[in-house]
Amino acid sequence: MQRKIIQITGMVWTVVYASIIVWIYATEPRSFKEVATNSQVAVGTYEINQERFSNGLALFRRDQFRAARDEWTAADPAQKDPRTQFYVAYAWYRDGWGRVYYDNAFFKQGLEAVNRAITLAPNGTLTVDDPDLQMHTAAELKTELEQGTETSWKDLNPLKLFRQRK
Amino acid sequence: MKDYTERNRALLHFIVTPTILLTVALLGGLRVDAQTSHFVFIAPPLVTLVLAILLGSLFVRAGAIDLRQWFALEQPMLTNLAHLLTLLALFFASAQAFNSVLPESGLLHWMFSFFFLWTLWTNQFSAFDARRLLKSLIVLFSTAFVLKHLLVSGLYAPEGGWFRRIASALLQGIAIDVPAFAPITGYLSFFALALYVAGLLLIAPVPARPASVDNKLAVREDALAESADQLSE
Repeated sequence: MQRKIIQITGMVWTVVYASIIVWIYATEPRSFKEVATNSQVAVGTYEINQERFSNGLALFRRDQFRAARDEWTAADPAQKDPRTQFYVAYAWYRDGWGRVYYDNAFFKQGLEAVNRAITLAPNGTLTVDDPDLQMHTAAELKTELEQGTETSWKDLNPLKLFRQRK
Repeated sequence: MKDYTERNRALLHFIVTPTILLTVALLGGLRVDAQTSHFVFIAPPLVTLVLAILLGSLFVRAGAIDLRQWFALEQPMLTNLAHLLTLLALFFASAQAFNSVLPESGLLHWMFSFFFLWTLWTNQFSAFDARRLLKSLIVLFSTAFVLKHLLVSGLYAPEGGWFRRIASALLQGIAIDVPAFAPITGYLSFFALALYVAGLLLIAPVPARPASVDNKLAVREDALAESADQLSE
């Protein structure tokens, strides 16, 4: 009987341990801290650091986009919060926006972030009610970022110098 | 007294051995980046799975694992299943042990892979017993460890000395792409290989059976012997 209990315990433990190893190799954490964050995500207890998110928002409103992104990256290290990822994308948009030309590299990073936000949002739709923003949905922001990375004859239109940043 | 022996044997066989082997599977692909000190997890390349299959075949041929005793109709299904899990853990531990001593990319990766394949393939046709096989494996992994973690790492370390200068002169024009990892990677690999050898030492060719199965087998063997005697008469 005792042998049977040990056998069953051993089998369960082997399967659990093997699953943990597969999970570690799949998520590729870079440090013990990331292991802890990924575990929280897996268990469903993951929450962003609200204080750092607010700090990022304050910096964003003062047009300090790079610092804001750093704060949001620290607030959402696992990149699992759609709202934070939306703001990160917005920061890339505003940072890359220019009256004469858009910074393609920044817009591409913004696209990656907004795509993450859309994937994470329930039903793929995300609306952020922030009066300081001119685009409130992830879909709008995505379209704007996509248009910014495309090249067309419209880019030669001199009237674009009068366009406004959203 | 007997109760303790049987319990400890079961603990060793069903819990400790798979744990050790799975720890090898975890550590075998772990590297630490030299610049950022971040973990880098390298999944076992395809060639290491092929090497693990060849090694598994070698275990069976050398009698280090008697498959007919590990999986038997007389045994409970649970025992067979537990043995299957242990052998799967051994397979992945073997693959990761190879992964641990294989250079990650470039010409050296293929050279090391080729030498491992060559050694394991020729060993398939040699006369081996379990003890000799274990000794041979210790030598094989030690050599690969020294080559990778002492020679090759030293060769491409930023602060490499005279050996690096000689090798650079000899290998001028040959691009050998070796990623730089922190020295702790070598310690992790050493620990993984030591655990792997310990795991191999714990694996018995014939797993210990509970007394009830032994009795059943003894009865069956007696019956077979009796019928053989009757036939010979």
